[in-house]
Amino acid sequence: MKITVFWGCRIQTSQYAYEMSVREVLPKLDVEIVDLPENVCCGDPVKSVNAFAATYLGARILALANSAGLNDLLVPCNRCHFALSEARRTLQTRPETMEKVTALLKEEGLEYDPKLKIWHTVDFLHDHIGLERVRGAVRKQLKKLRLASHVGCQIIRYTDLGRPEDAENPKKLDSLIGALGAESIEYAEKLDCCGAALMYSHTDSALSLAGSKIKALQGLAVDGLVVSCPDCGLMFDSKQKQAETTVGEKLDLPVLYYTQVLGLAMRLKKEKLGLQLNQSPVDKLLSKIPS
Amino acid sequence: MSLTDLMSMAKPNMESRGKLLLRLGGRELVNCFQCTKCTSGCTALKLLELKPHEIVKLVNLGFVDELPSSDIIWTCATCLKCVQRCPQKASPYHVIMALRNVAVEREAKVPDAYMKAVSQILETGLAETCQKITTREMKVLDREGLKLPKINSPRESFQSAFLKALEEK
Amino acid sequence: MARIGVYVCHCGLNIAGVVDVEKVAEYAKSLPDVALTKHYTYMCSEPGQQMIQEDIKAHCLDRIVVATCSPRMHEETFRRAVAEAGLNPYVVEIVNLREHVSWAHSSEPAKATEKAKDLVRMGVARARLLEPLEKRKVPVEKSVMVVGGGIAGIQASLDLADAGFKVHLVEKAPSIGGRMSQLDKTFPTLDCSACILTPKMVDVAKHPNIALLVNAEVASVKGFVGNYEVTVTKKPRYVDADKCVGCELCTRVCPVKVPDAFNERLSEKRAIFIHSAHAVPKVAMIDADHCLRLKYDKSVCGKCETACEAKAIRFDQQSETISFRVGAIVLAVGSEVFDAARMAELGYGRYKNVISNMEFERISDASGPTSGKILTPDGGKPPKTIAFIQCVGSRDKRFHEYCCRVGCMVTLKQAMLAKEKIHDDVKIYVLYIDMRAFGKGYDEFYRRARDMDVDFIAGLPSEIHANPDGSLCFDVYDKATSRLLQVRADLVVLGTGLVPNNDMENVSALFHASRSADGFLLEAHPKLRPLETAMAGVFLAGACQGPKDIPDTVAQASGAAVKAVDLLSRGEIELEPLKAFVDKDLCSGCRICESVCPFVAIEIKPELVDGKEKPRVEVVEAMCQGCGLCSSACPTGAVTMQQYSSKQILTQVDAALVEAGNGSGGS
Repeated sequence: MKITVFWGCRIQTSQYAYEMSVREVLPKLDVEIVDLPENVCCGDPVKSVNAFAATYLGARILALANSAGLNDLLVPCNRCHFALSEARRTLQTRPETMEKVTALLKEEGLEYDPKLKIWHTVDFLHDHIGLERVRGAVRKQLKKLRLASHVGCQIIRYTDLGRPEDAENPKKLDSLIGALGAESIEYAEKLDCCGAALMYSHTDSALSLAGSKIKALQGLAVDGLVVSCPDCGLMFDSKQKQAETTVGEKLDLPVLYYTQVLGLAMRLKKEKLGLQLNQSPVDKLLSKIPS
Repeated sequence: MSLTDLMSMAKPNMESRGKLLLRLGGRELVNCFQCTKCTSGCTALKLLELKPHEIVKLVNLGFVDELPSSDIIWTCATCLKCVQRCPQKASPYHVIMALRNVAVEREAKVPDAYMKAVSQILETGLAETCQKITTREMKVLDREGLKLPKINSPRESFQSAFLKALEEK
Repeated sequence: MARIGVYVCHCGLNIAGVVDVEKVAEYAKSLPDVALTKHYTYMCSEPGQQMIQEDIKAHCLDRIVVATCSPRMHEETFRRAVAEAGLNPYVVEIVNLREHVSWAHSSEPAKATEKAKDLVRMGVARARLLEPLEKRKVPVEKSVMVVGGGIAGIQASLDLADAGFKVHLVEKAPSIGGRMSQLDKTFPTLDCSACILTPKMVDVAKHPNIALLVNAEVASVKGFVGNYEVTVTKKPRYVDADKCVGCELCTRVCPVKVPDAFNERLSEKRAIFIHSAHAVPKVAMIDADHCLRLKYDKSVCGKCETACEAKAIRFDQQSETISFRVGAIVLAVGSEVFDAARMAELGYGRYKNVISNMEFERISDASGPTSGKILTPDGGKPPKTIAFIQCVGSRDKRFHEYCCRVGCMVTLKQAMLAKEKIHDDVKIYVLYIDMRAFGKGYDEFYRRARDMDVDFIAGLPSEIHANPDGSLCFDVYDKATSRLLQVRADLVVLGTGLVPNNDMENVSALFHASRSADGFLLEAHPKLRPLETAMAGVFLAGACQGPKDIPDTVAQASGAAVKAVDLLSRGEIELEPLKAFVDKDLCSGCRICESVCPFVAIEIKPELVDGKEKPRVEVVEAMCQGCGLCSSACPTGAVTMQQYSSKQILTQVDAALVEAGNGSGGS
């Protein structure tokens, strides 16, 4: 099948490993990626500035996806997924906003179509592709790996909006990890936030939130943390070293994107999965996978 | 006016409250009965002392005007737990976002990073600039070096359309 | 020539504040056949009614028009007043000048007055054609069915039986007692629940006027008020109730273990079991879903049969259908407990030491799974810290918006029981939004809890986690001290609320009893008629109408019993004559009316015409609610509505289309 993908800002400007691993893995599952004609912000940071402008940006992405002519849109970033979902809900419930946004889009020759199905990586793999096919694509079982999943906040909440994962007991990412033969543990801090949103104004607090979670996981003898959002990846992987000072302890937990782990299980090339880019000590984890 | 905060001598401003309610598009905010479930689970409470229930109560009583210029409204981590679990659907997160919008309108203390993001979007379409990544083997790579496709820029009409959108109150 | 009296009511300022009542009365005088008009402040008051009565005699009035508030308020009042003065009560016409005029058009008084004149003109036109009607009397069964054998059903049954009525008490469990039999103690007296309940249960079993049907559910209800025909399905218990002595030899030998619902699944019972320690009747029962012999084959097992010295086991028992007639029905089907697993963030179902208040009750009860010792389900030790969390599933737009009414008192009771039973230093924290202790002795009960050093924290936690050692921990923001507190508890008790039964939809359909928005059964009027449903002869008692505690339940049950006695004590009831009736000469037997009647009030009664049997229909007056569907559907005009014939309606239409003020008034 073909699917349009909206990558958002974070993935395309720094979390390249996520983009690489998605681009590498999906075709092997018979999914052809169609990039949007324009890559523009989903509006997430604009929510704090001007709610209307944020809704407009979200609607614009949906309109761009509409112009690509496909019914499905894959949004690998949690925050983008939430921003687009909220934009759609606002347009549904506020006719005056819908009118103004439609007019602005029309000026650019764009049209918004509410019937687009918005996916995230996790529910796309779990619900659309299905665990059977994911299992079928595995060439090397990751049996020795004991992993922890961090599914993030904005794809599990808030339920009334309709989210890819359950708010209190998200299991899809765990099942996807299980489909690779690895173990995905339950842990008390599972639903704790990575703190990314606080990087705009309170970096120490943001790093402290990320650091605390890594510290807690290090106490549980896990081989690695699996994320599926570039902001979470930014906090746990890219900023792990920086977070050390906020928690007063050495942090050296391997952090990978799920699609990277999936790619490993599918025996795809490490460089193609961006594994050289992870800032956290992933080699520790890679050494546990027999070649 | 019938109510005064004797510490600050502030009085409620029901007009500001009404405007805020319009931004929120619903009146669930007034259903808050102060169960404090939001604050009990707030990601930003321990580190930054954010108390969502207090903000909701202040808004409800009409003590709205002091909030947009406060620092506290910028401490929300947007984890959405308060939206998920509030038994009255008062959604403190949405109240805080609306207060942030008021702060921007009034040109009160807005953290630079947000306005920078807006300028960046106007310029390139994206809120961030492309970064170079140093691999664990000390190699420096960027999108091109990683053979990733070019980022498609927005069409010319985007800038003026986005500016128009930013002017909406 | 009619002699019509027109009375325009001010209704204080309710009508007179908008409508110029004097002008309306003046105008009414100009209408033909109007013998006199008056206006007065409160027509429904005693002087107002007396005025009508005196005028009827003094001026030989034979039709009365009262222009006042909605007929739903006082039509009965004026009918009675008129009847006392010797006129037929059905020649009274009410014109609604309040809900239809002054309340709807309060901003346009001039136009409102014109509309009032129009409505009075229409009312007068109709009054001319009103006919005297007689109420019919129908004999009734002096017996009542009570559905549900909890404390509500038990109380209602005893009151009815003591009043001399035959009671059929239908209970779906193998024993009566309901929720109250699961309780340890009751608030605010800390009476032992079983001690105050079991004597009543035994009274029910022994009462000559009560026929107790357990393991039974109502299958169908036909008929009408005073004459209901009920069929009940009695499930087989596979044990002969006349032979079983309740010795429990059978339960000891049964190899199959089943979670015990009476103990909230905290312990196991056997496939053959006695419902509870104080079951009434104390007779064994076999759970057909788990009994090996009943599920598979007789060769598989038969241990109970062998062990039973009374030879009471009957594997071949079948379900029975029992039919009887009753005059009234009391619904006392109770409620269920909110499933706390739906509020996943509190860890119910995930952590065994997070329990519901009903589970705590069973643990505290001497006849429960731990013989009354407060022990944690996971670990089996007395807890050192217990946290009670209020409003689980209640006051919550995600689940049930209503307040469960009993949660606060239940928690206070359980906190005090825990303090009493565990003694030394057990820390108890109650986390709440509001403490609701509204009843007699209730706030004193709250003070007693504080006297016992129970701690109250004004705030609720967002989520509950487990520590590695199995204890539970959560953060809570206390409004009173403005502090974020962390609580570490060995046992967490959730104040789960009462919710409508799962099968409430069925109940609603079976008894034609509507439900309110919260899912409970709907009373006829929330303030003035809390014990009746909209269906005549069907009454409500207990938690099925809304969550409530035992004192309120007992009061309601006795009240419902009296309502039934009210209805049936005279041995007959009067039927309103405003029903449909069929002119057989015009009826072609097409049965269209039967197909549109929502109240099953049309019967086929063939007639012999010239030696041949022709189908005709007849209206079952007691079922007919006078809705008029049959009359409008009838293609030949054979069905008409008493007091609402086409002529009577069309004369109002004609009157409406005439201009007011020109004095002709239409006719």
